[in-house]
Amino acid sequence: MTTTRASAEQLQAAAATQTSLERGLGKRLYGFLKSIPTWVLWLLVILWTIPTFSLFVNSFRTRDLQRTTGFWEAFVDWDFTLANYEEVLGSGATGGVWEGLLNALAIAIPATVIPIFIAAFAAYAFAWMDFRGREWLFIATVSLLAIPAQVALIPLLQVFSSGAHLTLPVFDKTVTLMPDLNLSGKTIAVWLTHTGFALPFAIFLLHNYISGLPSSVFESARIDGADHFQIFMRLVLPLSIPVLAAFAIFQFLWTYNDYLIALTMIGSSGSNLPVTVRIASLAGEFGLREHILAAGAFISTVLPIAVFFALQRYFVRGILAGSIKG
Amino acid sequence: MERILTSVAAIVLALVGSAGLFVGANKLFDLAPRKWTWFTTGVGAVVGFHAMAILWANRVVESLGVLSIPAPDIILVEVIGVDIPVIAVLGGLIGGAAGYVLSITRDPIQRIGIGVGGGAAIAVLIGLFVRTDDAVTEDDVFPPVLPELDFAALVLWTVIGAAVGAVIAYGLKALAGRQKDPIRTIVLWASLGFLAGGWLMADLGPDGSRVEAVIASLGVGIGLGAWIGMRRYPELEAREEVSRKARVWIFLGPALGFIAATLVIPLLRTLWLSFFRGPPRRDGEFAWLENYQDIFTDEGIINVSNWSNIFTSRLFWGGLLLVVAGLAVARILGRRTGHAIEASPSTLGTMGLGGFLLGFAIFTVLRGTIINNLWWVFTVTTLATGLGLAIAVLADRAKYENVAKSLIFMPMAISFVGAGIIWRFMYIARPPQDTQTGLLNAAWVGLGKLSNSTGPKLIALVILALAIAFLVYLGLRAYRTGEGNSVAAGAALTILPLLWLAWKIAFPGLGGFVEGPNGETVADTVIFLSNSPFNNVWLMVVLIWVQTGFAMVIFSAAIKAVPSELLEAAKVDGATESQTFWRITIPQILPTVGVVVTTLVVVVLKVFDIVKVMTNGNFDTQVIANEMWQRAFTELNFGLGSALAIILFIFVLPIMYLNVKRMQEAS
Repeated sequence: MTTTRASAEQLQAAAATQTSLERGLGKRLYGFLKSIPTWVLWLLVILWTIPTFSLFVNSFRTRDLQRTTGFWEAFVDWDFTLANYEEVLGSGATGGVWEGLLNALAIAIPATVIPIFIAAFAAYAFAWMDFRGREWLFIATVSLLAIPAQVALIPLLQVFSSGAHLTLPVFDKTVTLMPDLNLSGKTIAVWLTHTGFALPFAIFLLHNYISGLPSSVFESARIDGADHFQIFMRLVLPLSIPVLAAFAIFQFLWTYNDYLIALTMIGSSGSNLPVTVRIASLAGEFGLREHILAAGAFISTVLPIAVFFALQRYFVRGILAGSIKG
Repeated sequence: MERILTSVAAIVLALVGSAGLFVGANKLFDLAPRKWTWFTTGVGAVVGFHAMAILWANRVVESLGVLSIPAPDIILVEVIGVDIPVIAVLGGLIGGAAGYVLSITRDPIQRIGIGVGGGAAIAVLIGLFVRTDDAVTEDDVFPPVLPELDFAALVLWTVIGAAVGAVIAYGLKALAGRQKDPIRTIVLWASLGFLAGGWLMADLGPDGSRVEAVIASLGVGIGLGAWIGMRRYPELEAREEVSRKARVWIFLGPALGFIAATLVIPLLRTLWLSFFRGPPRRDGEFAWLENYQDIFTDEGIINVSNWSNIFTSRLFWGGLLLVVAGLAVARILGRRTGHAIEASPSTLGTMGLGGFLLGFAIFTVLRGTIINNLWWVFTVTTLATGLGLAIAVLADRAKYENVAKSLIFMPMAISFVGAGIIWRFMYIARPPQDTQTGLLNAAWVGLGKLSNSTGPKLIALVILALAIAFLVYLGLRAYRTGEGNSVAAGAALTILPLLWLAWKIAFPGLGGFVEGPNGETVADTVIFLSNSPFNNVWLMVVLIWVQTGFAMVIFSAAIKAVPSELLEAAKVDGATESQTFWRITIPQILPTVGVVVTTLVVVVLKVFDIVKVMTNGNFDTQVIANEMWQRAFTELNFGLGSALAIILFIFVLPIMYLNVKRMQEAS
């Protein structure tokens, strides 16, 4: 009883100081000061949005306008055109952005779907199967998620372009571990690489979720005679759909937006280039065709931005699960 | 259209194929406990088939012919058409037959006989089809692989193998108390020794004979067959054990295989390559640490020769001043409250800003790829974390919070390439006499014009004067009442930059202009991307723009996860909002800061796309990842490229250690 009264008094005291502060400074000034954080927030939001917005506006302006006036002038003169989009999407010499979009999907879709399943098997094994060295192996696997892709690029490119051959040290005999499948320059080389690089993070993310599923579910299934394979297919996969979706969006954006691995494995010419590489090479000739650069760059970002806004909740969940629980 | 179909077909095939393998492996091991015959037959067939197929692929044996499964027309991916060598089918048949017979035989002696028979059959098959002609491919001619047997070596290696096996078997028995048949282990190792002596040590070439090839493979086949046959017939419990143990590896196998093939083994090979000079493989020469020596003596990669210029830079003295001022205020205020220093947001903030400027002073003087990359880490990590936290706090419980957060977060969905292009438009600098089409230069030049006209100048100064007067009043009031020490400190320390701004506006003028030859003002643009060293900062801005959203999302979730009882308790105890924030919210989300910082450090260390697209490392903006890429894939200097990749890896190691430690604490 006494504690409740004490806290009530304190509340009143706190309220009193606040009102005195309000009166002391003048209500209006105080109100203005209180709204400053909101103003700062929206100022930052505007600052953050302007770059993308200016690209969007510029993509609808003619070459001459882009070269002579800033994008903000477009709202004064109101002069827009679709010509840049026609040029950039039209086939032929402009860099084949349309083809690039398809190639990016041909990389991003398998590089998203395949790791999900492989990682789900492994995450389930790490979470619910008993074997020696489980902890150790799990930590070793997941610790690899910080490794930069650069450390693997040279050997992987060699494997994709000429196979893998091991020369046995004492015997001086060469054994072919993987024949030359002539994969360099093909999209499959890119998504195979992405699949491998994605696994440590995917296993980590999925393991966090799958290991948190209630064990009672598994026990009752096991009593009914289900083995690991059945439990995995009938229980774990359906129950994990939220985290699978979270990882899928994360991985899709990552692989669609990737530049380094595509550039390394495919090169900077040929018909298999994804859109990032094409746009980057358009940018490399800045000045020549800068008027279609904005349109091209904007087209390349439409899909990820749409995915992002449509499925933002899952994306955020993926990022949070990947960082906070760690 | 055809391309789309092709890709879809390839994707579906890859998916169905791998799903089939996974389900098939599961089903196979499902058979082990109850249908042992089916299981051993299947395993025997698979092992026999693969053994022969691998030998065929390595051009050790020739096939009777090839069953070609051609790629369907719409699939252009060449891998998918498969060649199945007939000899592998034969191997599979023999293996399957041996597996079947083994599964119905319980007598130990008979079992050994069956194993030896199966092994010998496969060995003879190898001997009969070992390649005796040159194999000619596009790039190379491979001589035949007939072994020239040296019987002394053969015996020696077999004995060595047996000895190794004995040491392992009896050693394990003595040390780990393992109860396994030691003879089996010895047989296994002896046959491996025979393999070494007969095939690996022997000279392979046209001078050997088919008979020798049969002998060399027979020893191995009989030994391995005996090893398999010596296994006792497994009872139900043992069969269940087989199924259970294998299941773990079926589930883990694909993941571990992929990780080994794309990360672990390439990492080791990169390390190995980094010790070689020049182009890879044949021409490469083992050169110990020469690549690393080159890196650390390259002025372009690490350049500290101008270190003394640090002490003449304005950044250094400005930073020092801020640190000293912050410390002094904190000390004076702290004495009043009996603390060593008053750790309030404003004093800490001032010292932090000072430290930041000191960092800039160092990084603008010490140059080179590696140091530049560290500058990236320093700047981007600090600013993205700080801004992300600030925005998360500002947005918390604000109106339309989700809209604001989405817009800040959106750059995360844009590729680094796209972000680089977006910002190139922001950074455009046209000749000074032209209209500026880049927003930043337009604003900067516009500001210069404004600060040269009296009206706006006066207005700005009046506003600043009012703000300063208000802060003085606030500070004095807080100081006199003895409460709100931190308010006083904050006021005092905020006045400093305002005074500096007022001075700048009043005298030299703010913005992009210079005085022309006749005293008139001429527009002066910032060449954002090519004026070193600050062009690096403009590149960093792009990454900050992208990563702030990431930091914000995580901080926002952490702030919302602060237990509301804590906040209410603080309110009940009469804490003000800012006290609650600094004393409760901030300590509560401190672990999250660690997570954000480690994640960002890794991202920034690897920065590549932005630099590659915006400057390609020119104008003194090189970073490790781009340097590595250029050395490895433009100059094709794989040794140096590998060494740079390893350096990048070494920078990431501490983060990996922290991650592992955090994971161990969590579990």
